[in-house]
Amino acid sequence: MSPKRSIDPFTVEVIKRALISAAEQMFAAFGRTSKSSVIYEVLDYGCAITDDKARMIAQANGIPPFIGVLTDAVQEVIDKFGLDGLDEGDIIILNDPYMGGATHQNDVVLVMPVFYKGRPIMFAANKGHWNDIGGKDPGSWSPSATDIYQEGIQFPAVRLFRKGEEVRDIVDIIARNGRIPEMTLGDMRAQAASLQVAADRIVKVCDKYGLDTVLESIEVYLEQGRQEALEELKKLPKGEFTAEEYIDDDGLGGDPVLVKVKVTITDDRFVVDYTGTAKTCRGPINAPLSALKSTAKFAYKAVVSPHGDANEGFFAPLEVIVPEDTVFNPKRPAPISTYWESDSYAGDIIWKALADVMPDRITAGHFLSVCGTIVSGIDDRTGEWFFSVEPNAGGWGAGKGKDGESGLVCSGDGETYVLSIEVAETRYPLVVDQFALNIADGGHGQWRGGFGLVKDYRITNSQAFVTASFGRNKFPPWGLAGGMDGTPNLVEVRKTDGTVERRGRFSNEVLHRGDVVRFITGMGGGYGDPRKRDPQAVLNDVLDGYVTRETAERVYGVAITGEPPQIDEKRTQRLRGG
Amino acid sequence: MAKRVAIDIGGTFTDFVSLDEATSAVTLGKELTTPANFADGVTHTIEKSGLDTTEFRQFVHGTTVVINALTERKGAKVALITTKGFCDVLEIQRANRTGMYNLFYRKPEPFVPRRFRFEVRERLDYRGEVLQPLVEEDVVAAVEECKKAGIEAIAVCYIHAYANHAHERRTREIINELYPEAAVTLSHEITQEWREYERTNTTVMNAYVQPAAELYLTTLEEKLSGMGAGCTKYAMQSNGGTTAFAHARRVPIHLVESGPVGGVIGAEAIARVVGEKSVIAFDMGGTTAKVSLIDDGRVKINTDYHLEKTTTWAGYPLKIPVVDIVEVGAGGGSIAWIDQGGALHVGPRSAGADPGPACYDLGGTEPTVTDANLLTGRLNPDYFLGGEMRLNVEKAEAAVRKIAEPFDLSLLDAALGILRLANANMQAALERVSIERGYDPRDFTLVAYGGAGGLHGAWLARELRMRKVIVPNAPGQFSAWGMLMTNLRHDFIRTRVIPCDSSRLDYIVSSFSALEEEARAQFEEEGFPLSRVVIERFLDLRYKGQEHTVRTPVPKDVLKSGDLEKVISTFHELHEQAYSFRQDDPVEIVNFHLVGWGTVDKPPLQPIANSGRDLGRALKGERLVHFEGVGPTQSKVYERSLIPLETPLLGPAIIEEPACTTVVYPEQQVQVDRFGNLVITEVGG
Repeated sequence: MSPKRSIDPFTVEVIKRALISAAEQMFAAFGRTSKSSVIYEVLDYGCAITDDKARMIAQANGIPPFIGVLTDAVQEVIDKFGLDGLDEGDIIILNDPYMGGATHQNDVVLVMPVFYKGRPIMFAANKGHWNDIGGKDPGSWSPSATDIYQEGIQFPAVRLFRKGEEVRDIVDIIARNGRIPEMTLGDMRAQAASLQVAADRIVKVCDKYGLDTVLESIEVYLEQGRQEALEELKKLPKGEFTAEEYIDDDGLGGDPVLVKVKVTITDDRFVVDYTGTAKTCRGPINAPLSALKSTAKFAYKAVVSPHGDANEGFFAPLEVIVPEDTVFNPKRPAPISTYWESDSYAGDIIWKALADVMPDRITAGHFLSVCGTIVSGIDDRTGEWFFSVEPNAGGWGAGKGKDGESGLVCSGDGETYVLSIEVAETRYPLVVDQFALNIADGGHGQWRGGFGLVKDYRITNSQAFVTASFGRNKFPPWGLAGGMDGTPNLVEVRKTDGTVERRGRFSNEVLHRGDVVRFITGMGGGYGDPRKRDPQAVLNDVLDGYVTRETAERVYGVAITGEPPQIDEKRTQRLRGG
Repeated sequence: MAKRVAIDIGGTFTDFVSLDEATSAVTLGKELTTPANFADGVTHTIEKSGLDTTEFRQFVHGTTVVINALTERKGAKVALITTKGFCDVLEIQRANRTGMYNLFYRKPEPFVPRRFRFEVRERLDYRGEVLQPLVEEDVVAAVEECKKAGIEAIAVCYIHAYANHAHERRTREIINELYPEAAVTLSHEITQEWREYERTNTTVMNAYVQPAAELYLTTLEEKLSGMGAGCTKYAMQSNGGTTAFAHARRVPIHLVESGPVGGVIGAEAIARVVGEKSVIAFDMGGTTAKVSLIDDGRVKINTDYHLEKTTTWAGYPLKIPVVDIVEVGAGGGSIAWIDQGGALHVGPRSAGADPGPACYDLGGTEPTVTDANLLTGRLNPDYFLGGEMRLNVEKAEAAVRKIAEPFDLSLLDAALGILRLANANMQAALERVSIERGYDPRDFTLVAYGGAGGLHGAWLARELRMRKVIVPNAPGQFSAWGMLMTNLRHDFIRTRVIPCDSSRLDYIVSSFSALEEEARAQFEEEGFPLSRVVIERFLDLRYKGQEHTVRTPVPKDVLKSGDLEKVISTFHELHEQAYSFRQDDPVEIVNFHLVGWGTVDKPPLQPIANSGRDLGRALKGERLVHFEGVGPTQSKVYERSLIPLETPLLGPAIIEEPACTTVVYPEQQVQVDRFGNLVITEVGG
């Protein structure tokens, strides 16, 4: 089981806990001292500690696709400056999406070498969503960008701090290249200070146990991570598995975009090959390579071992192959700022490829898109601008032995909360007419897909603007093992003049008092033949209004009669051909 | 010979403490909890104490009846009546994926299935103005359905009902008229803070536990009165104060953390007596350790409590004031295990009380923290529970061998390692309440209690460089003792989002007056003399555009003088302390919070007599105790009750008492203070 070694297992574990807790304390400090709700509420940030070879030692994430993304950024820093070229107190800033570790420009990475007795031994790194870093549109990310220069300023790994001092020249450039410099600089300093929290903790651990013991412990527990992954790989079916899907369009309304994967699993390898995926897109749905790779890491972790800590060792069996000049590895200067619209598919198709052979580890497809919305305008009550920016939750896929979850944020979000109605109505000039399950006809199966949601915002202001990006508006979530597909996501704009427009994406649509925008998210896919669903579960679905009697009969082959409703056993038997 | 009596029913033991009001003499008792019939357990414990129940002046009760009904899902059949368009709020929740890598994540299942969630036409806006009047036929139809379905309790929660109670009140009238058998909970009587899911869930959970809690409290009251205890009976609430049974019967959800908060209040009381303002309460029992930070003499209360929340599961929010306690799965029964990658863990799985640690010899075979404490010489096998239970060293060795052998370690090194890992888990909890919230643990004293608090407190304090450790008297019954140090407490919290500036002063003053009226009415209803009611006022403030609020005290004279600047400048300071920055932005009120204290005379903690204490007799002998990094060390063993007061003793030392053991590390010293507390400090520190 465990190789003999000079260092006792408790010391390894205590040091590992201390380093994980250093990452967690960095995460807590960053969240606590940030002024932006996108950080402290949406948790759109991540923190990591690596060793001096850029191997991930510990990480704390607010959202899952950030797992492992920071190691590439540290590698860029090492490549550019060399370990000898860094000084204690230096902090490097990086957000160029065509460099390692970047996602879109809004997600700014800071990297700090941690010095012990005069030499760099580890790195503290973090990445946080900055509200505005310039570009053509307020908020910088734009569904209609056509090149990267429209999406904000780029930092190609340059010193933001030199020997503990802010580099004034860089700070001045940052201040001049965003729309809300005061907030940006406040958050930037909070982000930088949180690196120091981790560094201090690392130095304390080294003081207490000695550097050699700490470094040796890291080797041991990276190996434990690898062993954990190998033990799980042993349990997985071996072979090649493929899947493909289409993304609705290229981001600017063009044709559907093909994405493809081949997953090869052996006793000690897990290879993800995206060859065959479509070329770089015109619109900003391209996923930068680092974002893509960390999404593959997330998908791998969810399959191999969703619980427990992940480190470089755990990811050692994973290899990701992505051809150049594709939507998953685009070519500069293609736009990338709404990269999640393709990136989430990179994980989804891995799961789709494996789902048939791993029904105990993977559930059917889910609504997948962040379904991000912005409702804005000048509030008649105050004369001030308001911005309501939020993700929407939807339906998740059913799995072997469980129905899908209803109203859950997508795989790209994690501990992310939807906005409370009461808070929304207090803050913004709108009334919510309903916030309910979207009881759609889809996702049927032996285990049923979860329901999406439907939310109506009725504008009570003279004018408001709506931007919404609901991916998966053409191709619904996939069913599994004979379960039916779910239903697509959609936005409806219903104006007082009676017109109704239904689309997946709206950009700055003008609404007036009384107009309603309806956000609809889809159902997750079902699992297994609906005619095998336990009739009692079907009866419960009818009682709870999840399924109509007609659907119960037509799709599930369960006849429900009478009041209170009950199962007509005989007819059910006939319907099910028994 | 009037007595104040507290009974705290825990998962394993029922603790009894009585305090003589004239002499401050303490009587203690400990019995096994009787889950089948808690009320009989209480009366049995009292009978066994031999005290005269007619002498009871005050009775305080900590009970698990509410938390048990919730966690065992043994509550009433509940229906929900809510605003049209929103019956799914209870199922949608906040849509967060706490287990973010887990494709098989399951959201918390609502306590009311969809078929019993009824919508009625009515609508208020955020100011409480009526957008749609209540359609009474809809309520009638819903109540008829409830009746047909045999619903036992009905929760009513309308959107923005915190701003206008009329629709909820009218709904209750209709229910009472048509279906008087049903218990009714109105959201605004439980919480008046915004956020519909949290409010709805809290209302539903109160409805869910209310019938069982009412039955229990009524039965217990009758039994106690039947025994001659005619005094007022109080229940320990999660907010750190007590309330009369009569009130608790209506809103029992406030008893959800009834037991654990007693210890935090006790820690605060001890801190006050010994002149410590900033302490961390540390309660280590059989399955978990709980920590709570007390800053400048103030127990921290918030309304962010979640039932059953873990790092991978969202749990259920309860929007009620609860003492801020962080809990980790590290207790005496926590099990050490090796995962498939070969890494070691301690907890969160626990051997509990049954079968318990291997050394209990009750069938447990997994290595636990208690087994490790035994093998390292910290526990005395012949003096566990004062010798009532002999610990089996061989069984402990066999269990710990499961960890030692795969790593080729000695039994002792494995046992020490288990303790180090358990300590690391608890250290993380202490860091969470301190460092991660902007406090420096070096400014704090650790108050260690619970069955295992004394075994681990000294190490934790050393690791975090805390100033000292206090192990109070009878640490095993400390939560019950803490309940005797409580006052009545009622919280009134209202969400009203308005600018915090002097133009709103009239509104602010009248809002607090209205809350004060409510508080006084509450105390009157409980028959509590208004002359003993003390009011505290707070505003939850934030910078406009921000989300974090900071609970900021509002001195009474501010309402008279209108000097809001004073409050705002306090807010800036508190905000900077908590979040490390301040802003020039306008400040906004989110919640009005008024605390009504019903102050109760408590006998002062009396210095104890030094007579009969003698170092020679206290010293029971020496034994080898194994300390990490030091190795086996001859350590003096003392009987706690015999140690002379204010006499420093050098570590390493073991202080034994019937229900607990305290470990003093090398280069630490310990003394018994005037009140009988053990006080551990670093030598020269």
